Amino acid sequence: MSAETLAVGHSRTSGRTVGARHLITPVTICAVLVALYAWVGTLELDSIEQRSLNQAVILTKAVEHIQMTVAATTLVVIIAIPLGIAASRSRNRLITPVILTVGNLGQAVPSIGLLVLATFLMGVGFQTALVGLVAYAVLPVLRNTMVGVQQVDPALIEAARGMGMTRGQILRRVELKLAVPAILAGLRTALVLTVGVATLGAFVAAGGFGELIVNGLKLNRMPVTIVGGVLTACIAFFIDWLGGLAEDLLKPRGM
Amino acid sequence: MFDRDTEGVRIELRSLTKHYPGQPAPAVDNVTLDIPAGELVVFVGPSGCGKTTTMKMINRLVEPTSGEILIGGQDVLSLDPDQLRRHIGYAIQQVGLFPHQTIAQNIGLVPNLLGWPADRISARVDELLSLVNLEPSAFRDRYPRQLSGGQQQRVGVARALAADPPVMLMDEPFGATDPITREHLQNEFVKLQKQLRKTIIFVTHDFEEAIKLGDRIAVLREGSHIAQYDTPAAILADPADEYVASFIGQDATLKRLALMRVSEVSATGSPAGSGLPQVSADASLREALDIMIAHGADRCATPSGVLTYAALCEAVGTRAGEQEDVVSSER
Repeated sequence: MSAETLAVGHSRTSGRTVGARHLITPVTICAVLVALYAWVGTLELDSIEQRSLNQAVILTKAVEHIQMTVAATTLVVIIAIPLGIAASRSRNRLITPVILTVGNLGQAVPSIGLLVLATFLMGVGFQTALVGLVAYAVLPVLRNTMVGVQQVDPALIEAARGMGMTRGQILRRVELKLAVPAILAGLRTALVLTVGVATLGAFVAAGGFGELIVNGLKLNRMPVTIVGGVLTACIAFFIDWLGGLAEDLLKPRGM
Repeated sequence: MFDRDTEGVRIELRSLTKHYPGQPAPAVDNVTLDIPAGELVVFVGPSGCGKTTTMKMINRLVEPTSGEILIGGQDVLSLDPDQLRRHIGYAIQQVGLFPHQTIAQNIGLVPNLLGWPADRISARVDELLSLVNLEPSAFRDRYPRQLSGGQQQRVGVARALAADPPVMLMDEPFGATDPITREHLQNEFVKLQKQLRKTIIFVTHDFEEAIKLGDRIAVLREGSHIAQYDTPAAILADPADEYVASFIGQDATLKRLALMRVSEVSATGSPAGSGLPQVSADASLREALDIMIAHGADRCATPSGVLTYAALCEAVGTRAGEQEDVVSSER
């Protein structure tokens, strides 16, 4: 028993508090940003480059990029978690393949193609970019929700039913609680994917760091492209780090 | 509901049948059984004989195809299944404790569903932990995976008892533990049941366990047909047929001796020791026989006198020295 207690005590300290290993990612991101700033500082920027690489533009693009990511992920949560639950129910087994196929399609269809199609229907702008992002990011959350709920030990469900919990109570108090780690892992994947795919928003005039990348390429200004690319990667790493923290803090205790 | 009384109530099964669609024979075929209030009845039979299905129909985890179930005179099939299950204790082999909840939350689950106030629930949790020999202050706030298998089983029993239901259904609750823990849990459970007098249906495939725990045993065969339904002593003394006899095994008489206490047999002579091996009054006759054989004696000393080999034979209905014509005095 003492060995078990020790093991639990250990996992509690590493699982619940922010330790040194949690600091590696933010420190690295900061170092990369400082290096990028120093490198750009050594360059002689011409007027075209100066128009892109200044504080106001970079801040605006950062805000646009993060807005797109957050809005898309919120929509993904609203759409994918209920669909994942629906797909996990045995009484829905006939429609589960349909739900999964739609989710797979969203990821299989090239995002750029989907954005072009959406532009024909909705014109350009933020909302059009969202369509592409949501379609792309639904699958990991949907799949992980479904698998997370399905992998709950059937003995727990039987015990819960045997004690008189209703189906809704079992879903809320047992199945979803135990699926939290899987759902969060899916959400983390979805967020990182979204940050990357949000660069395509530049093609539908939705802003974001994609604009720096695309402009740099079009105007043959390599520093602009590099700044856009590195900043996008930094956001992706930062969000992944936040996701990791959330997983550690939100996973049910006792597991 | 039927649990105004927390002591056991009578359960009646009337022509209970479960026929799964697409299967040639019913899993449970026309079972009629009376389970007296406050008794522990063991359903024993091979895997797949329908004993678990029969039990699960009582709390409607399995809906009967036809037939009637009365608990304390009330027709179970007319009640809301979820409400019904909150008033029937339920313990299973895999225990099924929720890993994300503390022991206290696990035990307090049914009282919580029934809307008990928080202080009453926590008092009840502590009471139950003590009842199953777990120190409340040490276990209340732990999580299931921090407990050993035997401790989890005890919590499982405590959880089934939480709302003090008059009826408990137990599906091999000690099946997944090692033999030593199992024996220990069985002994504790026998004591507990003496105190609580619930009506308990206990499913097992282990006949030894059935003898040890049951007030009555229902030996079931394919389709949950009742091969014999009687007290352990009566089944051992007079198995209804070959099937029941095969379940008992070769040592029926020894098993019967194990059911009787030294104090139940009249001892002869003076209790003076005179060098005879000693047995205590609450030892079983089987233990007394063991001591006699170990000492090469045909008698041993009890607190009230001398127990002879002949008295042992008489207790199980045979006369010492008689080779043939084995008479069964019981039934």
